[in-house]
Amino acid sequence: MTRWLVALAAVLVLGTTAGSQSVSIQLEGNTFTVVGWQPPAAPPAGGWPSVFAVYVGTGDVPPLLGTYAVERGTLTFRATYPISSGVRYRASFHQPGQRTAVERTFDGPSKSTTPLARVERVYPSADVLPSNQLRLYIYFTAPMSRGEAASRVHVLDGGGKELSALFLPGEELWDPAAQRLTMTFDPGRIKRGLTSNEKMGPPIAEGRRYTLAIDRDWRDARGVAMIEGYRKLFRGGPAVRTPPDQRTWRVTPPRAGTADPLVVDLGRAMNYPLLLRMLQVSGPRGGLDGTIAVARNESEWRFTPRAAWQAGAYRVVADTRLEDLAGNRIGQPFDIDVFERVTEHITTDTVAVPFAVR
Amino acid sequence: MRYGTVIRAALALGLTIVLVFLALSHRPVSAAAALAPGKADLKSAGALAFGPDGVLFVGDSMGGAVVALDTSDRTAARGAQMDVQGVDQKIAALVGVTPDQIMINDVAVNPISKNVYVSASRGRGPDAMPLVVRVEPSGAVTALNLGNIGHATVSLVDAPAADPAARQDPRTTTITDMAFVNGNLLVAGMSNEEWSSALRSIPYPFNTAARGTQLQIWHASHGRYETQSPVRTFVPYTMAGQQFVLAAYTCTPLVKIPMTDLKPGSQVKGVTIADLGAGNQPLDMVPYKKDGHDYILIANTSFGVVKLHADSLGTDKPIESPTVVNVAGAPYDKITTLTNVQHLAQIDDARALVVTATRGAGPAYAPGPSTGPVNLQTIALP
Repeated sequence: MTRWLVALAAVLVLGTTAGSQSVSIQLEGNTFTVVGWQPPAAPPAGGWPSVFAVYVGTGDVPPLLGTYAVERGTLTFRATYPISSGVRYRASFHQPGQRTAVERTFDGPSKSTTPLARVERVYPSADVLPSNQLRLYIYFTAPMSRGEAASRVHVLDGGGKELSALFLPGEELWDPAAQRLTMTFDPGRIKRGLTSNEKMGPPIAEGRRYTLAIDRDWRDARGVAMIEGYRKLFRGGPAVRTPPDQRTWRVTPPRAGTADPLVVDLGRAMNYPLLLRMLQVSGPRGGLDGTIAVARNESEWRFTPRAAWQAGAYRVVADTRLEDLAGNRIGQPFDIDVFERVTEHITTDTVAVPFAVR
Repeated sequence: MRYGTVIRAALALGLTIVLVFLALSHRPVSAAAALAPGKADLKSAGALAFGPDGVLFVGDSMGGAVVALDTSDRTAARGAQMDVQGVDQKIAALVGVTPDQIMINDVAVNPISKNVYVSASRGRGPDAMPLVVRVEPSGAVTALNLGNIGHATVSLVDAPAADPAARQDPRTTTITDMAFVNGNLLVAGMSNEEWSSALRSIPYPFNTAARGTQLQIWHASHGRYETQSPVRTFVPYTMAGQQFVLAAYTCTPLVKIPMTDLKPGSQVKGVTIADLGAGNQPLDMVPYKKDGHDYILIANTSFGVVKLHADSLGTDKPIESPTVVNVAGAPYDKITTLTNVQHLAQIDDARALVVTATRGAGPAYAPGPSTGPVNLQTIALP
């Protein structure tokens, strides 16, 4: 009797081992497959996850999100999200009636560690910024990682000491490609009459020297640090309190028959991305196609038409939301002094500067 | 005897009418019915706000849109106490990334079921994928299937350039906060290019032709300087029977705006009621009543959590001159027991949900990325 039981137990153990050995888990693309097991036609009572699941991470965590299917007699689990680099996946198959589970781990593709990103340029490009400078635009050569800006962008005073509370905390304003970051100086320190402005003064003081310093440790979208850090020296200039006025712009018209650029001297530095979007040239037959260039520390706007200029009357059309470095827009200062200028809001959407091509 | 039968019949009829009325009143109503099933094409999932009937509004800053999702979560509940540690780790496991690749963007509590909804990003770069997950008090997390869900989208931007080869438009408007008030979704945004961002009022159900009314939001200080300033966070609030929006501008002061001012084409000017000081931004606000007094709990980026005494907000004189940091305007207490709060959401009159995470290294005004784990907890409103 005892011998029979031992023999039966041996068969069960062998059976289990043989069963486990013949079953394996494979990963192709983002699909995990149980090979060597014939799944039943219908899912078991607890559903397929009670038999086969994939886990990432440890502790009390849910299984990986995905969908189950029986394809050509094989149970598959297709992960909803792509297999990620730097992640370890633990696939566990528990065959009904078997005591031990078949497990296999897979590592996502290895992470690239070659640095690619550096700061390409910063706007404003000038080395004197008004003390009420509103925004900085930082351009990177590769997509960057969100959530680090506050700790990676510094402004140092002339003695190399880091200045605190210069930028607006909270939201990071990126372009969709994550290659341009907009940093906003704390508007509470810029706008006159607020506690911050009265107690702390503007972020930048006229006449003082500063360094904008960006850490090399900032990680790109792949999690790899930059090739190098970045430094820009600048000096505080006088505040700009008057709104830009298109009537002061100097337009140098090109000659008919050429494709020379139209040159507009704006008289002051303007907000760089807005110069690419809020100025257009309109001719006798409507808007012109061409390329825009910005020069002389964002105080000059150049437009090169796709086709040669024809003689006639043209206009530079400006959206009144066009801002200078201090957030003053056409016809409307950043902070309107209601004592001095009561109703100085321009309500039109565009203004035009006419010129003739001869 | 006959009299008793009549009474019984009348009672039975009355009961039947009540039951039929109750059954009808529990049927899903129009707010969710306006949503068509299919793929909700979100490019990012940010600010969250609940509308009626389990409809969840999701701000999609990268897609330049707001998407209304039918959570199909309409079973009323009181809501169990929640203490979920490492919700970022759970979401990371669900979608197959390391926890540092999960960014928790916002949280909202379904006012009917009291279930918690979290918007997040899978990844930190331009290829990050949007996630909206439901978190139960047990700690179970379930991702909403954005591939097939009742939804409606309203675009907040101009149609994309006709030339598909044109460089991707670098302009985005980050949706900083949303709230559903009187049949309209109020959306606050902040552009990454121009300063003058607007508060928008969008009627719901969405009409594809209407992107809503843009409201110019102004802020005056010292009775003298006016700025057209973006709104960072806001909350609808009723004072003495009048509806207001309490809004925190990016230049920090907290202002009140009468709802009646939010009319198409109007230039709205907020009245300053508190100035929370420099180097700080309010994150979330929860108004509540306790022991007969009005309060507003405010979570801040670097100023911790404060409890604003709001009894006299309706009658307080506006701040007309700059005063000392920390004590301007309405009085408030610092709640020192609540630390590292990243988000606040109201559950009911007595409770709020807090999202906490250890701050990253660095000074309070410029902390590094939080080092996790991110925890969700129910608290009694202080």
